[in-house]
Amino acid sequence: MGSSMASSDLSADMEIDAFRRLFPVQFYERHFVKSLRPDARTLNAARDTTVALGAVSSANGSALVKIGCTTMLAAVKMEIMTPSTESPDEGNLAIEFHMPPICSPLVRPGRPADAAPVISKQLADTILSSGMINLKELCLVSGKAAWMAYLDICCLDADGALFDAALLSAVAAFSNLRIPVVSLNDEGRVFIMSEEMEEGKSKREPVNNELRKLTLSNIPFSLSCVLHKNYILADPTAEEESIIETSVTVDCVALTKQRVQELQQILSEAISDMEVD
Amino acid sequence: MSTKAGAAPSTYSPSTQKKKPQKPTFNHSNAVRSDGRGFYQCRPAYLRTGAVNAAGGSAYAEFGNTKVIVSVSYNPESVTVSVGQYLCTLFWFILHTGTSQASGSPLRFGPRESKKAMMYSNVGRLNCSVSYTPFATQIRGQGSEHKEFSSVLHKALEGAILLESFPKTTVDVFALVMESGGSDLPVIISCASLALADAGIMMYDMVAAVSLSSLGPNLIIDPLLEEECCQDGSLMFTYMPSRSEVTQLAITGEWTTPKIHEGMELCVDASKKLADIMRSCLKEADSPSNE
Repeated sequence: MGSSMASSDLSADMEIDAFRRLFPVQFYERHFVKSLRPDARTLNAARDTTVALGAVSSANGSALVKIGCTTMLAAVKMEIMTPSTESPDEGNLAIEFHMPPICSPLVRPGRPADAAPVISKQLADTILSSGMINLKELCLVSGKAAWMAYLDICCLDADGALFDAALLSAVAAFSNLRIPVVSLNDEGRVFIMSEEMEEGKSKREPVNNELRKLTLSNIPFSLSCVLHKNYILADPTAEEESIIETSVTVDCVALTKQRVQELQQILSEAISDMEVD
Repeated sequence: MSTKAGAAPSTYSPSTQKKKPQKPTFNHSNAVRSDGRGFYQCRPAYLRTGAVNAAGGSAYAEFGNTKVIVSVSYNPESVTVSVGQYLCTLFWFILHTGTSQASGSPLRFGPRESKKAMMYSNVGRLNCSVSYTPFATQIRGQGSEHKEFSSVLHKALEGAILLESFPKTTVDVFALVMESGGSDLPVIISCASLALADAGIMMYDMVAAVSLSSLGPNLIIDPLLEEECCQDGSLMFTYMPSRSEVTQLAITGEWTTPKIHEGMELCVDASKKLADIMRSCLKEADSPSNE
């Protein structure tokens, strides 16, 4: 432990920033001993979380989520497609996670981030297996037309716990989703009605007047934790993630239960705020 | 997202001294556009710095429905090249001389630093990239990089930056269009110049950009997406007000000389006002009351 000896000798007459950069592990461990983290959180506290719904008007549903500095923008766009023959009364859901170069200095244009496809897959698995969205609700005319929901999540600022923020923004975007009104034309094809047509200038009957919102059951929430020696850190920042060598755990830990309640609170507040406006 | 705080004016419409009688053509009766603006009225501009924490400098711009985030990263250490790398570079250079040099295509392999070392220069370099989110446009796209906008952004900014103040280094400017609502490019340019200022990169002046559309006999400033779709010609103008210098001027379509004159006057006035808004945004971010 030569380096740790050296660091403890040096730390007395070294500036904090220099110490943090040169001996990051020791820097963090000194905080952990006092059950604190450099940003004044306790070990199992998550960062401040905000949800803003309807951030992008070109999408059918969208949400901007911030967990600390990590920022995610999620948007759902609906398109009409022909359902597959195996499941004629089900729509489909495509989930993609993007990390554009603005989000982190580690991402370069033309070279996609390594983490992006991993999180993309995790998100798709979580959302589809949780049964949050009933794919049958995305059906318009059985065997003929159904909704294809494209969920795109863009990371605007990457500062740790990307999966948590991405999942929360995905859930929030779906709760903000307003399904467009569709109608049948003379050839029996389904098309999306424009706004003037909705206001009664068209004699065509809308097909899906009742079903304009999806019912979300079993909403998944997550909390990422990192383990460093004996300390479990909830909701790590990018710096904490980079320093701590042990793996990341997501979902269903005892800590998450408390966090889920917090997040449900935040999400329902955001939804009720939207309805007041 | 929210309205602009503070006393700074949030619109930058040019003053029209010689207001000509507008012939109500197109579908605008009484010279009112689909969003209720007059022909010479700009959308309210909302600008804010410090949007992305991970970046050296960043800015967010919202002009009507056009929403853009720009982040600037400035890392001098990324260009220091070791001797070994330099030899590799030389080798790589010999291998590839004359093939990929002129094409400017992105490298598929090889260290990024070597490319910079290859084109050694004692002035700084600027690297711009503009991309769209998949949901930015009405029809879902791929969310890929927009090559044309990237090069225009580069040209518009390089004249304003004091490149000789940071030799051997590269400044990266990344723009992401979150929502496209018309006049995307001018918003990107103005936002990028604000982000550069936020990053503390030396510039001669802020670059303010404005675009015009020519629709029949009329000129409309700061066009919306649907107006851009049916325009006869467009004019994009980027300007440094305190030096009265134009860094970029792009005109497409059919324009008569008096119309160009009129358009330029409108643009100069609008960009001056926009630059004032940008300046007050920087001052606001710097004032201790906001911290």
